[in-house]
Amino acid sequence: MIEVLVLLIAPLLAGGLSLIVHRSALLHAINLTSMSLLVAAEILITRTVLRDGPYTELGQLVYLDALSAFILFIIGAVGLACSLYMRSYMDDQVSRGVIAPKRLNLFFFLFHMFLLAMVIATIANSVGVQWVAIEATTLATTFLIAFWRRRESLEAGWKYLILCSVGISLALFGVVLTYYSSLQVLGDVSEALNVTQLLPVADRLNPHVLKLAFIFILVGYGTKVGLVPMHSWLPDAYTEAPAPVVAMLAGVLEIVAVYAILRMRMIVDHAVSPTFTGGLLALLGFASFVTAAFFILIQHNYKRLFAYSSIEHMGIAMIGFGVGGPIGTFGGLFHLLNHAFAKSMAFFAAGNIHRRFHTVEIAQVQGLAIAQPWTAMALIVAGLALSALPPFASFVSEVQIVTALAAQGIPGQWLTNSTGMVTVAFSNQFSSLSLTGLFLLCSVLAFSGLLYRITGMVWGAPPEEIVKGETWTLGHLPIIVLAAALVGFGFFLPQPLRQLLEQATQILLLH
Amino acid sequence: MQISPHIGSQLVDLCSALLLLTCFAIVAQRRLSACVDLFALQSAFLVLTAALVAFLTGNHHIYIAAALTGVIKVVIIPRVLKKVIERLNVKRELVMNVNVPAGLLICGALVMLAFFITQPIIPLGFLLTRDSLAIALAIVLIGFFTMIARQKAVSQLIGFLVMENGLFLGATAATYGMPLIVELGVFFDVLIAALIAGIYTNRLQDAFDSVDTSHLTVLKE
Repeated sequence: MIEVLVLLIAPLLAGGLSLIVHRSALLHAINLTSMSLLVAAEILITRTVLRDGPYTELGQLVYLDALSAFILFIIGAVGLACSLYMRSYMDDQVSRGVIAPKRLNLFFFLFHMFLLAMVIATIANSVGVQWVAIEATTLATTFLIAFWRRRESLEAGWKYLILCSVGISLALFGVVLTYYSSLQVLGDVSEALNVTQLLPVADRLNPHVLKLAFIFILVGYGTKVGLVPMHSWLPDAYTEAPAPVVAMLAGVLEIVAVYAILRMRMIVDHAVSPTFTGGLLALLGFASFVTAAFFILIQHNYKRLFAYSSIEHMGIAMIGFGVGGPIGTFGGLFHLLNHAFAKSMAFFAAGNIHRRFHTVEIAQVQGLAIAQPWTAMALIVAGLALSALPPFASFVSEVQIVTALAAQGIPGQWLTNSTGMVTVAFSNQFSSLSLTGLFLLCSVLAFSGLLYRITGMVWGAPPEEIVKGETWTLGHLPIIVLAAALVGFGFFLPQPLRQLLEQATQILLLH
Repeated sequence: MQISPHIGSQLVDLCSALLLLTCFAIVAQRRLSACVDLFALQSAFLVLTAALVAFLTGNHHIYIAAALTGVIKVVIIPRVLKKVIERLNVKRELVMNVNVPAGLLICGALVMLAFFITQPIIPLGFLLTRDSLAIALAIVLIGFFTMIARQKAVSQLIGFLVMENGLFLGATAATYGMPLIVELGVFFDVLIAALIAGIYTNRLQDAFDSVDTSHLTVLKE
């Protein structure tokens, strides 16, 4: 009870206080306190979930299971890292006059509202309330993305607002259709959108309606995840937004949107066969993976490079969920975690580079190892982790996904004429072999593209006018911790985390 | 007063059809302020439909949703949009990627598509609002199309709001309204989204001296 209240009240209170406090040190202190409280509450929730299984709170409004506790863990970890990083980053922005001091209040207010919305989206029992919360993240982040108020930022913000609003409207149609089907079974009750009500009766819901609903939901929340072909806002937004905001977008928001899709899938799978949802997820996953791998090769802007790498990794995770089975699903969840850590680290490094070199062009950044040794290290570690090389944890998760893919292939015959759609059928043996080949080919493409660009930035002599050497700040702490976690998780998963992942996998497999 | 279910369903169908009709009018309209007026009219029809469903079914919480629609979409949002248009001085025309006759034809096709998609699931619905679900989907698709077909930021916004109207009609028709807490959330979000977009178009005007989104092409590969 108390921990759920803390989850909700901490960001709310912090947001309110941020509006009236004027000293930047105090703003950061509030931010750190609220984030630490959030992490503490998350740990308590994880303990309860691991001990007692899923439970509801606040009169059925909140539903917590291992899957939502896992997502909360990512929100807490990345959020805390961001708060630590923001200390030096934001102060630097203010002292250089990029952001007016009084706009710092607004920044922190929006940041906390963004966080609150994501927490609500994760713990809400009703898929309707979840939709409202995800829409609220769009509203909070639009101004955060355009916070620099340059022409390009405004453009990126507008694209983001329009595309995500449209996507999210389509998702709402999916929610309406879900309600439509649940009414037939549950009757006209206001709880008919609650997961706790839907799951027990899910196999009696109308499959036609749920198929249609899932397609709308997948396209809608998929826009937020940045799946191809709904991804076009993502590279722009990631280039233009301040570094901590991008770290949150890439590290947390994408994952919350994936979670919303998975939540829906849990219900749809009971009514329709899992091959239907799995096939759709794998299809979008492959589209994203292949497209992003080629775009990574031609990037000359390091923020866009990481943006496309986000699309790539979300694609990989989607393939994992799509293929399904215990290994694929576990790999997919584990990959989400690894991606969140590696990508937030990459954007912290990108933020540091941008502050020193004042450019996003890869060609103009050289000699990072001399100019900013800590950042250079962070960049290399993040790059290696994003390329899924051993000994990083992402290597493990990608191997799990590709193993599952090779063994099972993607579920065949996933669109049937019954919904009035085109029939597409795959022969399983053929598809699993060729798709595994495609997967490996794209991994190699992305790997070489990413590492080629990064090494170019790290080695060589820095330009004359660039200050050399880097002083230690609080912002370096999260980078070190994240790097340690990325290597450490590759060798062994701490017991509670392993349990959490295994239980979350069980939840997704329950059919 | 008692209305027979048959007549009731005819009335709901009529109102939904009027909503669809205003969609076509918006697509055919070249003047921006007229588009805003048409959107307000469409929202008024939506209020009427919702109130009718509330009256015929006795689901009183739909009255609340209808009243909120009235306040937000018939009064507040059109007023904000009119202010934005006045300040931006873009009364005259709309920049279109697709001309009016072609646009109307595409919208006709979208309506057929909507009926085709919803055909298998319509028989599950309530007798009263059976056909409104297809119309709602058609309105969503037309709103979507409007956003693609128009270049001004304000008219893209109108497209978005039309989509929202379609969604609300869908929720009312398919399910006699969503749970109240969800509905309140949706309204709040629509209001905020419209306000944000309103502020945003002002910023675009300041930065680009235009709200023509074809100027937003700095960022690309």
